[in-house]
Amino acid sequence: MNRNQSGRNVIGAVLAVTLSACFTAAAFAGPAQRAQAKRIHDRIAGVPPSAVVLDQMEALIVANPATGPAAAARVAMLAPSFYTTVLKNWVTPWTNRDQTAFAPLNDYTATVIGMVRDDVDFREVLGGDILYVGGAGLPGYSPANNNLYQQMEDDDVDLSRANVLVRDTQSAHTGIPAAATAGVLTTRAAAQAFFVAGTNRAMFRFTMINHMCKDMEQVHDVHLPPDRIRQDVSRSPGGDSRLFLNNCIGCHNGMDPLAQAFAFYNFNETSGRIEYTSGQVQPKYLINMDNFKPGYITRADGWDNYWRQGANTVLGWSGQLPGSGNGAKSMGQELANSDQFARCQVEKVFRTVCLKPPVNGADRTEVNRIIGVFRNGGYKVKDVFAETAAYCKGG
Amino acid sequence: MKNIHYLPVLVAVVLLASCGGGAPTTSNPNTVPPVVSTYSGPAPQSAAVQSFRISFWENVKANNRCGGCHYATGQAPRFARNDDVNLAYADATSLVNLTQPDQSQLVLKVAGGHNCWLSSNSACGDILTTWIRNWAGSVAGGGGTQIQLQAPADTVVGQSKTFPDSAAGFQSTIWQLVRDPARGNCLRCHAPNAATPQSPFFASADVNEAYAAARAKIDLDNTSRSRLVVRLREESHNCWTASCANDANAMQAAIDAFAAGISLTPIDANLKISRALTLYDGTVAAGGNRYEANTIAKYEFKTGSGSTIFDTSGVEPALNLNMSGDITWMGGWGVNVKAGGKAQGSTAGSRKLADLLKVTGEFSVEVWAAPANVTQEDAYIVSYSAGVMSRNVTLGQRAYQYEALTRTGTTGANGAPALLTRDADRDAQASLQHVVLTYDPVNGRRLYVNGNFTGDMDPRAGSTLADWDDTFALVLGNETSNNRQWQGVLRFAAIHSRALSLAQIQQNFAAGVGERYFLLFNVTALTGVPQSYIMLEASQYDSYGYLFTKPTFISLDPNARPGSIALEGIRIGINGAEAQAGQAYANVKLNVTDANYTPAGGQLLSEVGTIIGLQKGPAADQFFLSFDRIGTQTYVRTPVTGITQAPVDLPAQSDIGVRTFEQLNQSMSRITGVATTNSGVRSTYLQVQQQLPPVPSIEAFLASHQTGVAQLAIKYCSVMVDNPTARAAFFPSLNLAAAPAAQFADANGKDILATPLLQKVVGTNVASQPSDVAVRAELHALIGKLAAKPGASSANVAKAACAAALGSGVLSIL
Repeated sequence: MNRNQSGRNVIGAVLAVTLSACFTAAAFAGPAQRAQAKRIHDRIAGVPPSAVVLDQMEALIVANPATGPAAAARVAMLAPSFYTTVLKNWVTPWTNRDQTAFAPLNDYTATVIGMVRDDVDFREVLGGDILYVGGAGLPGYSPANNNLYQQMEDDDVDLSRANVLVRDTQSAHTGIPAAATAGVLTTRAAAQAFFVAGTNRAMFRFTMINHMCKDMEQVHDVHLPPDRIRQDVSRSPGGDSRLFLNNCIGCHNGMDPLAQAFAFYNFNETSGRIEYTSGQVQPKYLINMDNFKPGYITRADGWDNYWRQGANTVLGWSGQLPGSGNGAKSMGQELANSDQFARCQVEKVFRTVCLKPPVNGADRTEVNRIIGVFRNGGYKVKDVFAETAAYCKGG
Repeated sequence: MKNIHYLPVLVAVVLLASCGGGAPTTSNPNTVPPVVSTYSGPAPQSAAVQSFRISFWENVKANNRCGGCHYATGQAPRFARNDDVNLAYADATSLVNLTQPDQSQLVLKVAGGHNCWLSSNSACGDILTTWIRNWAGSVAGGGGTQIQLQAPADTVVGQSKTFPDSAAGFQSTIWQLVRDPARGNCLRCHAPNAATPQSPFFASADVNEAYAAARAKIDLDNTSRSRLVVRLREESHNCWTASCANDANAMQAAIDAFAAGISLTPIDANLKISRALTLYDGTVAAGGNRYEANTIAKYEFKTGSGSTIFDTSGVEPALNLNMSGDITWMGGWGVNVKAGGKAQGSTAGSRKLADLLKVTGEFSVEVWAAPANVTQEDAYIVSYSAGVMSRNVTLGQRAYQYEALTRTGTTGANGAPALLTRDADRDAQASLQHVVLTYDPVNGRRLYVNGNFTGDMDPRAGSTLADWDDTFALVLGNETSNNRQWQGVLRFAAIHSRALSLAQIQQNFAAGVGERYFLLFNVTALTGVPQSYIMLEASQYDSYGYLFTKPTFISLDPNARPGSIALEGIRIGINGAEAQAGQAYANVKLNVTDANYTPAGGQLLSEVGTIIGLQKGPAADQFFLSFDRIGTQTYVRTPVTGITQAPVDLPAQSDIGVRTFEQLNQSMSRITGVATTNSGVRSTYLQVQQQLPPVPSIEAFLASHQTGVAQLAIKYCSVMVDNPTARAAFFPSLNLAAAPAAQFADANGKDILATPLLQKVVGTNVASQPSDVAVRAELHALIGKLAAKPGASSANVAKAACAAALGSGVLSIL
């Protein structure tokens, strides 16, 4: 048999057995807890467990049916693939406009992975001066390229190790003052994706999608004052102001006063770096000024959360915060301290672990319970993964 | 009354009188005017008279103009007399306002309906204005002119009726009448599919379109004043019986029936509100500061009805345009060009363009236009041409670019090559823009958008316009051959016989477009400051909304001072209720103080403008302001909060799924012991990565995904079997040197491969996995079949068995 024939036979055999295996997946002997342990490991780590780990997880579930599944999930989290695969693919779609997971590791992704690993209060993701870089043996962080993270991916390094993925601060590496850092929003990857060209509204919109689980249509409210809508938004698109009064206004009246927090940021495509021009509004905030001359002119980075009134009060804004401020950090904190932020994180984990959204009353009740665990436990994402895996462990 | 330095416009109180509908037409004595011959009277005594003669008198003395009555022995004033230009001048000076030409008695009289020689009184008024302005030589205007504000009538905010969103009530009442061929029969003209369609299309077969068009013609609060009624009762417009009075009654009855179904909008008694105004109660802020010294054709789109767009440049012959196809009048001055619509002049009328521009050798085409979209290409906004192959000049849109074609000595007969604005600049936007194309022999073509030179240089050097063809026609919104449709709103168009300078273009851009008013909302009762007002500059922004800008606190009493007045939460009310959207002044929170207040300019309260939706139309919509706090008066607003939507159950979904691309890669690596960084598997992984499942949904799993999974599994198994260490760890009993038929002859031999695969791939004793027995049987069968093949090797059999297990559902499904 020549090589080609051999190859064809192998493929034919694989497909034949695959089909057979798929259709003969009838349950057979074995305790339910063992199957639950396997599913928990599969969902948390993305890979099948070794026999030893499976035994250990099964034992935990058998020993304590109430808390055992969550404890078993924490065992599964010890697998490096929880960080290099499951968390990475959880985060990667947040870091690009196409929302694809087929993108390399970057500082945004790595920082979220590190925060989860180290049980950092996840609200810091939108407001912290935090950055995870490479440890010894890896290249230094460059604010001008993604080489470090590309190499980490190419080498499939173990991101679960604290000496490989090392916690640091953005201000030490990117040249942005600590007060101007805003968690992942001011990472290089986020800047490259969302501060590039445009008007910086993309950064706000994708932050809403990725961290509040709301696209702009879902926060549409035409009743709020439009006094902060910039000059570049036509008030009579195509000569019909009804379009503005019924559509455009509903998103821009809330978005523009919040997105003003990014007025000093830009991504410089030539240098490949994020730019921060303290005290100086980026020209992109003033483009197309003749579209509506009496529109709002941005002069600083002061932001206001108009959604503290009207329909979007349901997002649950923190009573401990003033609802206004200057710059991305405090705006990120405004979002991160909302009820919706916590709900969004839990629902995202739910989809990843349970492979579906919450579909019925039981699921919603559980999501609400896990939100409580998340918030009361100091916003640790691992708690959410553990509790969710326990819920979706199967029969 | 007081003066304030405010905007570069000059407004007179007297114009307020003309806003209400104009002076009645008076009967003229039956006279036989003399034939106006060539002038042979005394020469002008001064330069002023000479200017009067050239700019004004020569235009009005004809007997089909003012000279028909106001001749030497005719009706006084005899400003059009042909016997002595100096005497005519003496009479004319008392009739004109050279500082504010549009406020001249002459203009107001004719614009009010006094013997206009065109079908549009306003067009006659505009043309007279131009002549007087040229006479005065005040075209440049200048900055810092004065606004004279006058207190409006003191009107209490009244309860009023507002048009419902649904057309149902209209459909069962008025629409029945206007669509009835036996009665109203308005559909004969006022429908888009009529033989001679005339806007407004309130008799359209589409009831929503008809309703939208009819709203401006209906007065819900005083139905007898509805335009639909007045047109029949007082103007005898196409009555369908012998009695226009009866027809008007029938129309009013239909409107009464419609209005009866609409309840009054009540006003919240606790609101702190100003007095009320309609748009036309405001002081006119006409855009009189344009540079028009060399305008030879001008279209302001003021007429609002009929199918003629008048050239109000005052340069004879007037190049009026005929509207055809889907082109409709817009509120606030403008036309909306839709698919199939255009406005075209006659070739005879258009000839003046070629005649005048060939002499100067330069020109400017100026428009205020709002493109309907930024996807239309080959869309001609203004064209002086004869089809797609021959033209003198064209200004067009190509998606985000503006385009200029001009025939000169260095271009082809079609004006090519085109001058295009840079695509990346996205100069063309779907919003109202001021666009100017200039041409002169030195610079060639230049495009200016919103007062800025686009920076795009003409690809051809400038030359002469001597080759221009005077048989072409001017057309707006399309090509004469109807196949270069532009869609959008035109608010202004002009052709100048000179290339405008940047400063002149910026002057015209700054002058703006459309009708504007200063609305003075009386707040005297709320503030206690004499004659105190909140003034807003207002205009009809398009057919569906009003623009409000520059809210200013001001007292018309020059001696009054505000002291300190707290102002908070200003909202614009319309027809008895606060507008739902567009309340840009709701966040205003400041104090009006003596320090910030000047008697001349008041105190500006906000620098932003806003749009408020139109309801009944500019003549009927009644505005007021409400305040959360004004002085000591407060209104406590109940905070609006959102309502959490009741959750809805989704269809049940599978609780199993498939491993995604990277999970498969990591899983296979972990099972086989081959590192993901191995160059062989890495290469295969990168090759098939996007063929592997991107999402875990089992419903999204496709055959192509399985092919990718199989390829990756084969590679991992191949690398593993070929590596002695990895192979020994995985298949400890496998002997590659042994012949497969012998090694895998019996069940024990087959278990050399099957047992490790069951343990490492399937797992032991896991209820959710297929049974060991079934998998083992499949693997045995496969191994037996492969081992029996001629030329088979143990390595290949091992790889195949491994790949079959690794690429199967036992691993893929999670």
